[in-house]
Amino acid sequence: MKNESTQVQQRVMRYWYIDGLGELVGGGGVFFVLALYFSAQQYFGEDSLVGGLLQAGLFLILVGSFVFVRRLIASLKMRVTYPRTGYVEYRASRQNRILMGALAALSAAAMSGVIVLIVRSFDAIDTMVAMTGILVAVILLVKQVWSTRMPRFYFLGAISLILGGILSVSGFARGYNLGLFYGFMSIAFAVSGGITLKNYLRENPLPAEVEND
Amino acid sequence: MTKDLRGLADLDRAIHEPARLLIVTILSTVESADFLFLQREAGLTKGNLSAHLTKLEEAGYVEIKKTFKGKLPLTVCKLTKSGSKAFAQYRQQMVKFMSTTG
Repeated sequence: MKNESTQVQQRVMRYWYIDGLGELVGGGGVFFVLALYFSAQQYFGEDSLVGGLLQAGLFLILVGSFVFVRRLIASLKMRVTYPRTGYVEYRASRQNRILMGALAALSAAAMSGVIVLIVRSFDAIDTMVAMTGILVAVILLVKQVWSTRMPRFYFLGAISLILGGILSVSGFARGYNLGLFYGFMSIAFAVSGGITLKNYLRENPLPAEVEND
Repeated sequence: MTKDLRGLADLDRAIHEPARLLIVTILSTVESADFLFLQREAGLTKGNLSAHLTKLEEAGYVEIKKTFKGKLPLTVCKLTKSGSKAFAQYRQQMVKFMSTTG
């Protein structure tokens, strides 16, 4: 009985990812902003006025992107998902979620620290992009194991690892490396989300009564 | 009647019915869900779901509100505090029953 109810509860939690909008708009959008950010910072130089402003504004840029993307996803879900497969409001703040988030952040930080120490011994490797690739993969893996349980997130994690590995030995400047990493990840998320959305729309046509309204 | 079977007889009938148990399980996971989502997840017809929700509402376990999300009309269902409590108690009773009967 416990297993069956756990399965139902997990299926309900996975519903948020059913339409691919989170990846398409969220992952694709935020990674695209980061790609532009690091490329611009490299292009203008860290010591220039624009570079300095970009560095000072990173927190605002990230928070702004998250808020915008969140609103856009909510608005799209209202038009695309809720009329087709129904509306769900998830609990905003649960203690165990905070605890799990903190644990995930701590383990990710500890892991990246260890990785930096290991990778720093190789001069030819861009540690930042390698570390970013591993960190994104770890976050996706943790998310996969704890909440989503959707195989496509393993695939995205693998892409992150491969990209981080390839770009770390590419020889490009660090800013361009990070720009390329986030750019390619943005495309990977957009493609994954786009395919999921296409399948979702095909499998869930708009009900007749909604279409007639 | 043995003690074990008496435990089964004490189960909350409002929740014990399979379709209603499924509805309550779904609602226990989220803050609220609308009629269409519950219908799809539970695999019930509109009439059937409506009848089960009415029974749960009468028991005081579910709160049903008709609202709008933007221009979209929604019938939103939410598990009440007594619904959550009854579901937790039901789970405990079932686990206990399963463990004693093996």
